[in-house]
Amino acid sequence: MRYIGRKVALFVITLWGAITLNFLLPRLMPGSPVDAALGRLASSGVPITNAERRAVEVQLGVPHGSLISQYGDYLNSILHFNFGSSYSFPSETVAHTIGKAAPWTLALIGVTTIVAFIIGTLLGVYAGWRRGKTADTTVTLGATFFAAFPPFWLGLLLLFVFAFKFSLFPIKGGYSPGETPSLSPSFLADAVYHSVIPAVTLAITTLSGWVFGMRNNMINTLGEDYVTFAEANGLRTRTVALLYAARNALLPNVTAFGLSLGAVVGGSVLVEGVFSYPGLGNLLYIAVSNHDFPLMQALFLVITVSMLVAIFIVDLIYVRLDPRVRQA
Amino acid sequence: MSRVSRARSMILSAGATLCLLALSSCGTNPSTGGGSGTLTIQGDAGNPTLVQNFNPFAGSSLHGTFLIYEPLEIPSPIDGSYTPFLATGYKFTDPKTLVYTIRQGVKWSDGKDFSPADVVFTFNLLKKFPALDTKAVWQQITSISASGNDVTMNFSAANVPFAISIAQTPIVPQHLWSSMSDPVKDANTHPVGTGPFMLDSFAPTQYSLKKNTNYWQADKVAPSEVLFPAQASNQSTNQLDVVSGKFDWSYNFLPDVKTTYVNRDPAHNQYWFPPGGTIGLYLNLTKAPFSDVNFRKGLSMSLNRTTIATKAVNGYMDQASMSGLILPNLKKWLDPSLPNQGVVAQDTAGAQTAFAQAGYSMQAGKLVGRNGKQATMTIVMPGNFSDWVAAAKEVVQEVASVGIAATLDLPQYPQYSQGIQAGTFDAAIGGYGGNGDPYTDFSLALSSTFATPVNTPTANNFERFKDPSVDQALTTLASATDTSARTQATYTLEQAMYNKVPIVLMYYGGSWGLFSTKHFTGWPSASNPYTLPTNYNNSLLTVVTHITKA
Repeated sequence: MRYIGRKVALFVITLWGAITLNFLLPRLMPGSPVDAALGRLASSGVPITNAERRAVEVQLGVPHGSLISQYGDYLNSILHFNFGSSYSFPSETVAHTIGKAAPWTLALIGVTTIVAFIIGTLLGVYAGWRRGKTADTTVTLGATFFAAFPPFWLGLLLLFVFAFKFSLFPIKGGYSPGETPSLSPSFLADAVYHSVIPAVTLAITTLSGWVFGMRNNMINTLGEDYVTFAEANGLRTRTVALLYAARNALLPNVTAFGLSLGAVVGGSVLVEGVFSYPGLGNLLYIAVSNHDFPLMQALFLVITVSMLVAIFIVDLIYVRLDPRVRQA
Repeated sequence: MSRVSRARSMILSAGATLCLLALSSCGTNPSTGGGSGTLTIQGDAGNPTLVQNFNPFAGSSLHGTFLIYEPLEIPSPIDGSYTPFLATGYKFTDPKTLVYTIRQGVKWSDGKDFSPADVVFTFNLLKKFPALDTKAVWQQITSISASGNDVTMNFSAANVPFAISIAQTPIVPQHLWSSMSDPVKDANTHPVGTGPFMLDSFAPTQYSLKKNTNYWQADKVAPSEVLFPAQASNQSTNQLDVVSGKFDWSYNFLPDVKTTYVNRDPAHNQYWFPPGGTIGLYLNLTKAPFSDVNFRKGLSMSLNRTTIATKAVNGYMDQASMSGLILPNLKKWLDPSLPNQGVVAQDTAGAQTAFAQAGYSMQAGKLVGRNGKQATMTIVMPGNFSDWVAAAKEVVQEVASVGIAATLDLPQYPQYSQGIQAGTFDAAIGGYGGNGDPYTDFSLALSSTFATPVNTPTANNFERFKDPSVDQALTTLASATDTSARTQATYTLEQAMYNKVPIVLMYYGGSWGLFSTKHFTGWPSASNPYTLPTNYNNSLLTVVTHITKA
């Protein structure tokens, strides 16, 4: 119980620190949202006059109060789940904008993270069990090869070959242009069709991490006495590999998996950017390039909080999985 | 300043370059464009998060707004000649009184009649809500009134060229906008205009407009529908979209355009890359040694502008004339007494002479001033404007050969913009001109009214040039209504630009028009340059009323 109490206190303090940093960081970026908006205008051919600058300031409603009073307003609105309206999407509330983007990221990155974890772990178990054999070499080499690919580069490559050259998949977007997102079977089919290349890109590049982790843990565990004992008792190979060795080897990977589920919410800025995917990563990119403080803050908040919650849950699960931490 | 500079974001990553280099070996994709009568235009950036905004006065309004609302007249961005829309013509009864004759028989797309009262209402709306008045119309006019079919505007001071800004003001319907509670923030999601198109459907990835059959010149509008699929924020994806033939009209910088675009469908694909602005080296005239005209002349002569243009924009664009005019667009204004059409060739010996007059001499490969220190400069530009960066790198090399130590500073756009507006830079790459009218170009760049002290931001004249004779010529030009007076005043300004080198103009910024004649023909081209091929401003309206079905 003392363990859990300590974890909760730590969680609250970290959360406050994260929220405060989240307030300060965007404001430390050079340049103002007005400059960013004028930059967009200038690059679309509008000659910028002082009148234009004043007009943009009024339209954005850029805050003028001191940093302290802005911080007070900020804490107050977070307590009320009110993130204001963003500069990039003035007609919507930030919460609404994030709500629209979240399902895309959760579906694409969430599903690929889980799939990559399962496949990667199984491959790792296999490679570890057959350590030193051809199977191990093949899996390890393959994983090393794909781990070296930057995801956005692999994305561009797959995009060029399969979407452009052979026209098998769409070049960009999460669904066909002009469609309205809904849960109808035809729309879902369209969305799945659009998600194939991004999903493959993410799966290939994240798979290898799980393979390495699991393989190395397996090899360690396989040296333990209880594995030798199980083998000596004549248990079936698969039983020893999966139920005795893999179960124990899985522990560190569970921690990593919890963290990567927490990171899912942040999306993958680069991959979503390459495919113009309508998710949170792309939204974050838009927010940063427009100096959109309200949207940026809300996004960073969502990302940090989900990360902290993930860590917190992993800590709690660990109590069940590993009796040793209960004493700690 | 123009979107010329879209080229900057040209190639963002090695991956993209790889893709484009390999294009020549790619097969042709079937077109995914719409059916007959559908015009597909590469739309606004922002896929998949486009925001529905058809408020013609908002900075964030969608490009399609230009096909829904019409202005009084549209001046050509090439030579400033007017195409009439809601006005049939204009005249200055004196240099301070501008009279537009308003077109009759025009209807709003909801069926109500359009009248001169709507024009008066629109301008009064800008007065009531200064945030809408982005062209500062009310700093120039004092009153507006309608009588019969005429709308008369009174100016506070003679400013004939200002008609350009007035003419382009989009006119909105009084019967709908008078009851709008906050026209500054209203996104106007159900636009009613006089233009050739009306909103049909909107999604965050694409919107479409359908033809307004009541349009007053409906017979001149060939498309029955216009589709605007939104662009990605990722430039390489956009380039793939363009070359795969999705659009009838797109605007993109493409390297080796003949191979990457034209050859994929030689019968239909064509490009036109006319100059749309000028890219120059802005020098901070409040700082030594740039405050010395001889030093600036030396700097100008030490540059090989052709090489700079080749490095920056693949040789699509020419070196710029130091007359301050975009040639050949504005050639009718060119002062014939300027040598070689105002183009300054590289002349190292001449540069040394000019530097010597400024008190600088070559010592062991370094250009050293009277204080015994080497001349240095830091050139600032946004790091992601890759064509500007390429140009600046070449400048650094070329000035190194005359002994100047130059370095690059590559911040993000907002920081760059802050620096040049505050006047805290040494040298900066920036855009100049491109308004289609010499007065506006010269006035924004050279008028002392914009030359604020350092650390007081200004939106124009970043170099902070002040010269009474130039101000005088600008005033003369502003009040001149006859051609010979305008010509003389323009010549004076060209001479000032050429001889006083307030900005070292280097090369023309391109306007990157890519067209397909599969569904429509009659696009602007070198042989028929009726407007620039920009698909994000009121050239849209000009082009849509020019093209015909293929």
